[in-house]
Amino acid sequence: MLLPRILAPVRASVQIPSTFILPASRVIDALRTANGASAHAPTLSFVRHSAHQAQGRANGAKDGPGKRLGAKKSGGEYVIPGNIIFRQRGTHWFPGENCKFGRDHCIFATESGYVRYYKDPLKHPKRQYIGVALEKDHQLPYPRNAPRARRLGFVAVPVTQTEAEAQVVVNDLQVGEGPGSDSSIMDTPRPAKAVAKAKKGYAFREANWAIGRAAEKANVQVKKFVPGDRWTAWRKSNARIQANIERKKLRNAGKKTAKPKKRQQRA
Amino acid sequence: MASLTPSMRQFSTCLRCVRQVPSANGAQQRLLSSSAAAREEVRAQPTASSTPPPPPQSASDASAASVQEVPEFMQKWGKLDPETVENKKQERRLLRREGVQPVGSRRRRAALRMSAVRKTEEIPFEQLPYQCFQEARKFLQEDRQEKLKEIKTQQQRIQATAESNASVQSKRDRIARMKMHLNDLIIAADINDPVVKRKFEDGQGDMNKPIYRHLAEKKWREFKRKVLEQRVTQLSVVPDLLGSLDLVADIDLSFGRKTVAPGDFVESDISEKMPTLHVQTFTPGEKLVTVAVVDADVPVPQEDGFTTRCHFIASNIRISPSETSIPLQRIAEDDRKSTDDKKVALPWVAPWAHKGAPYHRLAVVVLEQDQAKKFDVSKLSTIERDGFNLRSFVGSQKLKPLTATLFRTKWDESMAGVLERAGLKDQASIEFKRKRVEPLPYKRRTERMR
Repeated sequence: MLLPRILAPVRASVQIPSTFILPASRVIDALRTANGASAHAPTLSFVRHSAHQAQGRANGAKDGPGKRLGAKKSGGEYVIPGNIIFRQRGTHWFPGENCKFGRDHCIFATESGYVRYYKDPLKHPKRQYIGVALEKDHQLPYPRNAPRARRLGFVAVPVTQTEAEAQVVVNDLQVGEGPGSDSSIMDTPRPAKAVAKAKKGYAFREANWAIGRAAEKANVQVKKFVPGDRWTAWRKSNARIQANIERKKLRNAGKKTAKPKKRQQRA
Repeated sequence: MASLTPSMRQFSTCLRCVRQVPSANGAQQRLLSSSAAAREEVRAQPTASSTPPPPPQSASDASAASVQEVPEFMQKWGKLDPETVENKKQERRLLRREGVQPVGSRRRRAALRMSAVRKTEEIPFEQLPYQCFQEARKFLQEDRQEKLKEIKTQQQRIQATAESNASVQSKRDRIARMKMHLNDLIIAADINDPVVKRKFEDGQGDMNKPIYRHLAEKKWREFKRKVLEQRVTQLSVVPDLLGSLDLVADIDLSFGRKTVAPGDFVESDISEKMPTLHVQTFTPGEKLVTVAVVDADVPVPQEDGFTTRCHFIASNIRISPSETSIPLQRIAEDDRKSTDDKKVALPWVAPWAHKGAPYHRLAVVVLEQDQAKKFDVSKLSTIERDGFNLRSFVGSQKLKPLTATLFRTKWDESMAGVLERAGLKDQASIEFKRKRVEPLPYKRRTERMR
């Protein structure tokens, strides 16, 4: 079925007067022109597509997990200091009034107020800004030469104490006169809510950093360590040895001391 | 030669290789760069050329006042001459003991000292035997003559324009333009003069002359003004107190002897006394100025905001390019004695801040009075200190801000004493603490949010 149609132009070219004999090379030329001229001439090409992917993708995975970028607070929403307003890669948005860049160019509020998305051509002709307006009816950007709108963010309270008092100087970490006295570490007030759950286990305990700050909060001052101060070192080590002896005595108080065995007299 | 300091020894050897004029030749040894100063001195005091010229008026006053109480260790430093001190230590001592800046460059002072030691003959500037130098001078002289001629023609032109019968408007504009060109010519005539350059660098330029004002302004704009402008804008004096401010005069702020850079924190016991201002204007003529000191950060806890307070206003203070000092302390004292010619409208209130409160910016603004008209100070003294609005003050009194600077204050150890002396003892018992911002209500994660 296929063959005769292919050969049709060949036949046509061959049918040129039989008396006129072409050289062999010309025949092939004629064949070529006849074949090439017809647009419909189908060609036989055999492509074998792979059934399986042989290698990894050239340009990496295109569709990773989403990074949850974009606006976290919309325009007009109320934010407090530290709230993240926008997460982005690079600087699509810039921090305007009462906002700052985070470590990864995220934009967070430094004042409580209402989010505004705006442009400020006087500041920069192309940038778009995110700002926090202090009052609900404020428009951003604020006018250039008007006094800045700012918030005090402080409250006036009567002075409680001066720094001069409550400086406990601790001698060799022996705090105060003893438990229950005024200068004792245990007596210093602590915030009740400082207890937080540890990561593992069920026990509630203070975070390590809070424990590390305990002395600082209680205003404890430790005697400075002087390298090479042998007198202090000797005194401390002596005290420790004495304490250990005492402790050992206490530990062994209930027990009977083993009596040295009597030497058996040889008969 | 052994008595000389090392730097000088180097210099002399260097000179010797430059100039191989042996003294055996008959001609005495001369120094290359000593002669410029010599000419001035020769004119002033022909007999003693090596002695220094009298220092500027203010400096001599200061030194005369301090002579009595010079401590013993300072007297041990010996004689310090601003013309011949040549190392850093001596310069520092000179500034500390006499309060005088050394003159010219260290290199030149060394040369001057050398010539004094060797007792060389001082050759006037014009007669230096260097051909290239003299040719260059001749060239500059020619240029100057040309400029002088141009100045004369320009003046004639201005006169002709003034007398012509053109419209008043066009005449005014043209004359203004021509005068600008005339000013440029006047500067161009002197700007290449080595003597002018030297005098300016020595700080002995006469600020009543346009060329020295021009040089001083150029120098000021190169760095000092930029710093001041940055401080004024970054510390937001400009939008908070004034809408806009084009700094046109140099200003130095000092409390007693202590200079304060713009924006510095000043301890409260130091700022209890009034500062001294040095305002260097670069435009000719005398001006009457008003000085205002305004606190831009007075906290108002009831409104959770800030307001302003005026700490000081003095008016009718005369300044000119050559009179730059505004000693507020002295002005206040004079004011107290005299009955007429009052200057202080609102007397000084020591800057103060609450404990724990954010820092206060105290802006010192120098405002030019319109057409140098005197103010009636008694009218100004009715101004309310709290909530003082500098913008409206400038607008209502038709003032023009010349320049501004600022310092900062916050709570320190001496503040309680300052408050007590100011009669504000109750303020010392108030402390400011950060207000807690209520967190947003916790939102339960709903199915829709997931």
